[in-house]
Amino acid sequence: MKRITGIFVAAVMIIGIMVVGGCGGGGAKPQEQAAKKETVKVGVILPLTGSEAMFGAMEKNSMEMAYEELKAAGKTTVGGKEIELKFEDDQSKQDAAKAAAEKLINQDKVAMLSGGYSSANTNVIAGTAQSKGIPFLIVTGSADEITKQGWQWIFRGTAAPASKYTGALWDLMDKVIKPKSVALIYENTDFGTSSAKGFRKVCQDKGINIVFDQAYEKGAIDFKPMLANMKKTNPDVVFAVSYVMDASLITKQMKELDFNTKLFIGGAAGYTMPEFKENAGDASEYVASTTLWIPNVAWKGAADYFKKYKEKYGKEPDYHGAQAYATMYIIADALGRAKDFTPEGIRQALKSTDLMTIMGPIKFEDWEGYTNQDKPTTYVVQWQKGKLEVVWPEEAASAKLVFPVPNWKERK
Amino acid sequence: MSLFGQTVICGILLGGMYALIAIGMTLIMGVMKIINLAHGALVMVGMYITYVCYKSWGLDPYLGMLIAMPALFLIGCLIQKYMINRLVEVDSILPENQVLLTVGIMLVLTEVARLIFKSDYRSVTTGYSSSTFFVGDMSISVPMTVGFFIAMAFTYLLHLFLTRTDLGRSIRATAQDRNAAVYMGVNAPRVTVITFGIGSALAAAGGSLLLPLFYLWPDIGHLFTAKAFIITILGGMGSTMGAIFGGLTLGIAESLGATYISMGYKDVVGLVIFLFVLLFIPGGFKSLTKR
Repeated sequence: MKRITGIFVAAVMIIGIMVVGGCGGGGAKPQEQAAKKETVKVGVILPLTGSEAMFGAMEKNSMEMAYEELKAAGKTTVGGKEIELKFEDDQSKQDAAKAAAEKLINQDKVAMLSGGYSSANTNVIAGTAQSKGIPFLIVTGSADEITKQGWQWIFRGTAAPASKYTGALWDLMDKVIKPKSVALIYENTDFGTSSAKGFRKVCQDKGINIVFDQAYEKGAIDFKPMLANMKKTNPDVVFAVSYVMDASLITKQMKELDFNTKLFIGGAAGYTMPEFKENAGDASEYVASTTLWIPNVAWKGAADYFKKYKEKYGKEPDYHGAQAYATMYIIADALGRAKDFTPEGIRQALKSTDLMTIMGPIKFEDWEGYTNQDKPTTYVVQWQKGKLEVVWPEEAASAKLVFPVPNWKERK
Repeated sequence: MSLFGQTVICGILLGGMYALIAIGMTLIMGVMKIINLAHGALVMVGMYITYVCYKSWGLDPYLGMLIAMPALFLIGCLIQKYMINRLVEVDSILPENQVLLTVGIMLVLTEVARLIFKSDYRSVTTGYSSSTFFVGDMSISVPMTVGFFIAMAFTYLLHLFLTRTDLGRSIRATAQDRNAAVYMGVNAPRVTVITFGIGSALAAAGGSLLLPLFYLWPDIGHLFTAKAFIITILGGMGSTMGAIFGGLTLGIAESLGATYISMGYKDVVGLVIFLFVLLFIPGGFKSLTKR
C-alpha cells in the first residue's frame, strides 16, 4: 500500500509539473548564424506548441515570409547591422511566456520584443518588457488593459483593444439591426472577458436589454446546456466570442437545438477563419462576425499576402497571419529609422511610426486611456454561400447583409 | 423540466464515453499499480488513426474504430513489453520511474503527432454529425447516443471477458495479488502486456466515438488524461463498474453545472466532487459496494 501511495504522490506531482511547468518542446534556435555579421536581435514569442500552436505557426510563417520579402528589398540591414529574428515558444502557457521573455532579454540581449498571441501571455510578456525597459510590439494579444496601464514600452499596432473590435458592428446595429434583446456568450479567457465587458457597456449605454450573459470554459464538448438556457430567453441577436473550434461546435449545436435568432454575430477570433467554415459546415451560413482584416480588404498588399501565403504553406491564412506579417514590416521600418539600437532609440522610432501596412495605416497614439495603441479599423463580415463577404461599413461592402437570417428549418 | 431532462441526458451520454476511456486507465492501474499518464495520448493516437482512415478511404469513424482498436492494442502491447516491463524487471530505486516513463511516452506521442499532422485542428464531418432527434422538447444528438451505446456495449463485453474467460480471470487475479497469481501459474508479464493492450484499445474506442462530435489536435490528450484520472479516483482504482459510475457522475455533474451554475464553471463542479470523494470516500465508489 505504501508503494501505491508513493506512486500516487509522484503522479500527482507529475501532473502538477505538467500543468505548471509545461510539457511542450523548447523553442530556442541555435545561435550559429549570429557569429559573422553584427545583428540587431528581435525576440519573437509565439505559441509554437500547446493548444494555440496552430495560430503560433501561422504567425511565425507570416513573419518569416515578410522577413524574406524585406530581405530581398534590402530592408533587413539597418545601420550596417542585420535584423535577426529569434523565435521563442511560450507553449501556450503564461509561465513559459514569462520565462521566454526573460531569456530573450537577459541571455540573448535582444533589442526589442515582439509576438504575443493570447492576451494572457501577452500581458505577462508586456509586464516583463515594461519592467526591464525593453520595447515590445504586440502582434495579436488584445485584452484592453494591456495598453491601458500607461506602459510606455508597450506598443500595439496590428491588434485592436478587444472592446474596440466591435466598432463597425455598433454602427450596423444602430442603422440596420436595432435589436431589442441580445444574448452574450464568451470564453472565460482574458480576450473573451475583455470583449464581453466592452460589449456589455455599449449595450447599457444604448439601452439594449442583455437577456443572457454567460462565460464558458474553452475546449468544452457539449454546449447544449448553455445554448438551451439561452434559447429560452429568445434573444434577437446572439453575440459570441470564441476561438475557432468552439465557434464551430456552438453554431452546429445551435442548429441541432433548432435555436433561431435574427442574427448570430461572432466577435472576431474564431468566426472568420477558414477552419470555422470547414468544421461547422452549413451551420456557418449567415453567421456574421466582426473582424480586423480579411483578404479582400482594400489595403494594398493584402490580397497578395493571402495568395503568397497560400501558395507557400498550402493553407489559407486569416487575420492573425496578417497581423504578424504587418508587424514584421513595422519592426523593419522602426529599426530602419532608429537613431541607435538602445531601447530608448527604438522606442522613439516606434512612437513616430506612420506606416501603411496590409492591416491599414499604423500609428501609435495615446487616446481614451490607451498608450501607444493604433486606432483600429473594423469590419462586419458575413458568411454567404460559403464565402466571407464584407457587409459593413457600407462603402467597403462586397455583399448585402442578409437580415434577419432564415430559420434553420426553412433552409434547404 | 425539459431543460433538466436535456441536461441529465446529455450528461449521461457524454459520461458513458468518458467512462470507456477511463476503464482503459483503471484496468491498467488495477493490474500494474501504476498511473498511466500517457493514456490521453493513446486516445489521441486512436483518434488520429480513425481520422486518417476517414480522410484517406472515407471510412466512417465507427468503422475506423475497428482499425484503430487493434492498432492501439498492438502499440499498447509493445509499450508494455519493451518499455514498462523492462523497467519493472530492473528493480529501480524509485518505483515512480514507471510513471515517469509514461510521461515520456506521452510527450513522444504528442510531438510525433505534431510532426506529422501539425498543430491544426481537425475534425470529421459525417452525414450524421449534427443530426438529432427530439424527445418532447429535448434535442438529443444522434452521434452522442450511438457513442454511448457502443461504449456501454464495449463495457459489457469487457465485463464478460474479465469474468468468463481464463485470460480475464488471470487479469483479475494479477490485479488482486500479483505474487499469489504468479504462484498459481499465471504468466504475469504476459498478462500485463495484454492488459495494457486492452486498455489502449479501449482508449482508442473512446476517442473514435468522440471524433464525430468533437475535434482533434495533438495536445488533446491532456484533457482525456485529466478526465480519466478523475473518473478512476471517483470509481476506485481498478474497478470497471466504478469507472462507469465515475464517468456517469462526472458527465452529469459537468452538465448540471453548465446548465444551472455557469458553463464557465463546469469543470469546477467535477473537481469539487473529486475533492469530496477523496476526502470522504477515499477508496472511491468501489469501496462503498465492497463493504
